[in-house]
Amino acid sequence: MSALFCFHCGEPVTDAAPLVARIGSLHQPVCCIGCRAAAEWIGALGLQDYYRLRDATAPQVAVTSDFSAWDREQLQRLYVHRRADGNAEVSVLVEGMRCAACGWLIERALATVGGVRESGVNLGGKRLTIVWEPQIVALSVLLAAIAQFGYVPHPLDRASLDGVAAREQRSALKRLVVAGLGMMQAMMFAIVLYAGALDGIDASTRDFFRWIGLLVTIPVVFYSAQPFFAGALRELRGRRPGMDTPVALAVALVFVASAIETLRGGAAVYFDSATMFVFLLLGGRYLEMRTRHRAADIVDALARLQPAVACRRTPSGELEEVGVHELHEGDCVVVATGAAVPADGQLLGVQCRVDESLLSGESTPLRRSRGETLIAGSIVVEGPAELRVQRVGVDTALSSIIRLVERAQRQRPGWVRHADRLAAAFVFGLLVATLATGLFWLAVDPTRAFAATVAVLVVACPCAFALAVPAAMARALAVLAQRGVLVVTPDAVERLQRADYFVFDKTGTLTHRQAEVAAASASRDVPLERCLAIAAQLEAGSMHPIALALRAAAGGVAPSGAQAVETIAGGVSGLIDGERYRIGRPDFALGDGAADGEDIVLADARGELARFRVRETLRLQAQPVIAALRAAGAGIEILSGDGAARTAAVASRLGVPDWRARQSPLQKMQRLAELRAAGHIVAVVGDGVNDAPALAGADLAVAVGGGAELAHSSADVVLAGDRLESLVEARRVASLTGRIMRQNLVWAVAYNAATLPLAALGLVPPWLAAIGMSLSSLAVIANSLRIRAPAPTLGEPVLPAAPPALVQPG
Amino acid sequence: MNILFVLIPLSLVLVAMAAWAFFWSVDHQQFDDLDTPGLMPLSDDPPVRADANPKP
Repeated sequence: MSALFCFHCGEPVTDAAPLVARIGSLHQPVCCIGCRAAAEWIGALGLQDYYRLRDATAPQVAVTSDFSAWDREQLQRLYVHRRADGNAEVSVLVEGMRCAACGWLIERALATVGGVRESGVNLGGKRLTIVWEPQIVALSVLLAAIAQFGYVPHPLDRASLDGVAAREQRSALKRLVVAGLGMMQAMMFAIVLYAGALDGIDASTRDFFRWIGLLVTIPVVFYSAQPFFAGALRELRGRRPGMDTPVALAVALVFVASAIETLRGGAAVYFDSATMFVFLLLGGRYLEMRTRHRAADIVDALARLQPAVACRRTPSGELEEVGVHELHEGDCVVVATGAAVPADGQLLGVQCRVDESLLSGESTPLRRSRGETLIAGSIVVEGPAELRVQRVGVDTALSSIIRLVERAQRQRPGWVRHADRLAAAFVFGLLVATLATGLFWLAVDPTRAFAATVAVLVVACPCAFALAVPAAMARALAVLAQRGVLVVTPDAVERLQRADYFVFDKTGTLTHRQAEVAAASASRDVPLERCLAIAAQLEAGSMHPIALALRAAAGGVAPSGAQAVETIAGGVSGLIDGERYRIGRPDFALGDGAADGEDIVLADARGELARFRVRETLRLQAQPVIAALRAAGAGIEILSGDGAARTAAVASRLGVPDWRARQSPLQKMQRLAELRAAGHIVAVVGDGVNDAPALAGADLAVAVGGGAELAHSSADVVLAGDRLESLVEARRVASLTGRIMRQNLVWAVAYNAATLPLAALGLVPPWLAAIGMSLSSLAVIANSLRIRAPAPTLGEPVLPAAPPALVQPG
Repeated sequence: MNILFVLIPLSLVLVAMAAWAFFWSVDHQQFDDLDTPGLMPLSDDPPVRADANPKP
């Protein structure tokens, strides 16, 4: 098979005679009709540059939905900001916006819609801000324009227009730059003083430069370093000295000592050390904050899970689109195929199928019949479903899962931060040493008391010590972010390195949510290709995973030629070229009495035509990741909410002997508690809402990107870009970071321990103390820079798996 | 060397001005999104507006 990839979305094109999109004079292969439409539409607008600019492939085009509900006044009040000039403004989270070209394409597409005043894309946050004239164009038209390309727009509530994160980032950037400018100036003037100390300088010039140094240091200490002082104050109030205390102490001591020396014309000043120290620490914190914000941008509320609009039936029998917050108990709601259920409720229609995989991990859509309860957040795959609302808002099952998450987060083991404890001991020792030195010299030789005390302070300044952990951490976070691993809680790096037991969720984490046809065999003389085509035509209208898998296996060609298609319990039947075919479970397709099994059978009036075996698609890298973790000595277990047969199948394909099926969120939490009680440090990798409580209760929670938002919100680490294999890389970076951090701490403590006695004896002149302090900090930073991403050992992206074996009867 | 007493305060004034300019640009959202604007020059024609002058 030649390796053809869709021009638009990059998915492999499996069909022998692929669809082509005509763009200008060129013909490009595409994988499906949706992608063809999108590619030709882009071409027709003259936006082909998109394909040149992009660096990540486009999302596959999904079925576009109706956005008219967004024009309702009740919804707009919550989501749309009316500007003073009469224009409206909305902030939209765009799912599927992955690269610069996506942003470019969306902006261009919106520019062709009349009435749009401005549109601004923030790629990092996947946000889009639109300003438009509501009299000319409706919000639903704008959303539909975005959806046309396969992006899914989710309007965000008004509060997100003016983000807390943006303010936090701006003030951090200002502090950092002030510290940087101050540091440069202070160093410049310090060089004059150093040169003067060697070559001779008259006292008035020296004092002038000291005063200038003091002047440029003041904003650094009082403005830039303010977060450290605030943090130290908080730690002191809580009587739990952490890392902010030694930092604040070091800055304050060095600054006050230097200021006093400036006033009384003493031996030396250390403004350069103080400012450099503040700048480096702020730089580390800034990086850390950026990573946190980027991760938080991906996590955005439950907006995507619980739909914002619902279709309600009025007493007179008409349908109206309303906001979900307007729903009440007893209302009658209609949910279209492919839409999410807005509230818990009883099914009024005869039957429907729902996908609860996000909520329970169950990967096959479940059949629900009249009177049974549908859960908010589940997706109707075969509908439409009409239901009577029983519970809304905080009473729904989804909300109770959220409460479980909150409970688990409270139970999360409080990790005693090693460095913090060390820091407290260190600060205490430092103060005792300083005090002892001061008292000693006051008793022996009061004239040398001040110089010796300052030397002790400067030499013992915990700068290298305070930098040891943050410098390594900042570097590790930056390296990990480059590899698509976003660390939400910084101490997760340490836990990632120490985790010795990995618990995986199945659906969505080890497998894709789509299924694939694993094997197909024709039972009679009809060619298999023909059987697949018939199957695809029968299933053309269904969103069921099996239908999607069959259509994919048939190559996506499915202009439905089937007539009188009926979806009955267990399968589908329909007329093609006048002949009636049935496809589904064996007992459905072949009539009662046939042996039931996992296979899908296609049959006509004379009996069986073909058999298909549909299985879950494993992620390409699931196997190497598990092998690599096991090689590193970690325990592996699969906890799934799905049924035993499917879980066992996936576990045996991956070679994992330990698995548990049908686990409710509560059971998962209990299992984790067991493992932890047995002394393991447990990492949970998951993506669904049903994993969220387990994630929150684990020592380390890893969410796979592209999963449910709730899973992300309780994650410590997010593998962005849906790459499971980055977990192994991240673990390697984490253990390297741990090693470097220990080296840094050992070095800092050794330096201080070696120089402190000399300084206390008055043997270290202040200028030497200052140089030593700077060098020890630089050594720590240089060492931290050695943290690099490992060369990819899992291999370059593997080519798509070989097509399923298509067997013809011999 | 008396010129120092003029030049150094002058340099500090310049630094202060630079800091002020930076604060101004941060407050005017110039640093909120550093990825997207870099792409703008790559597209050479202004966006086509349907309401202004629709092109085929």
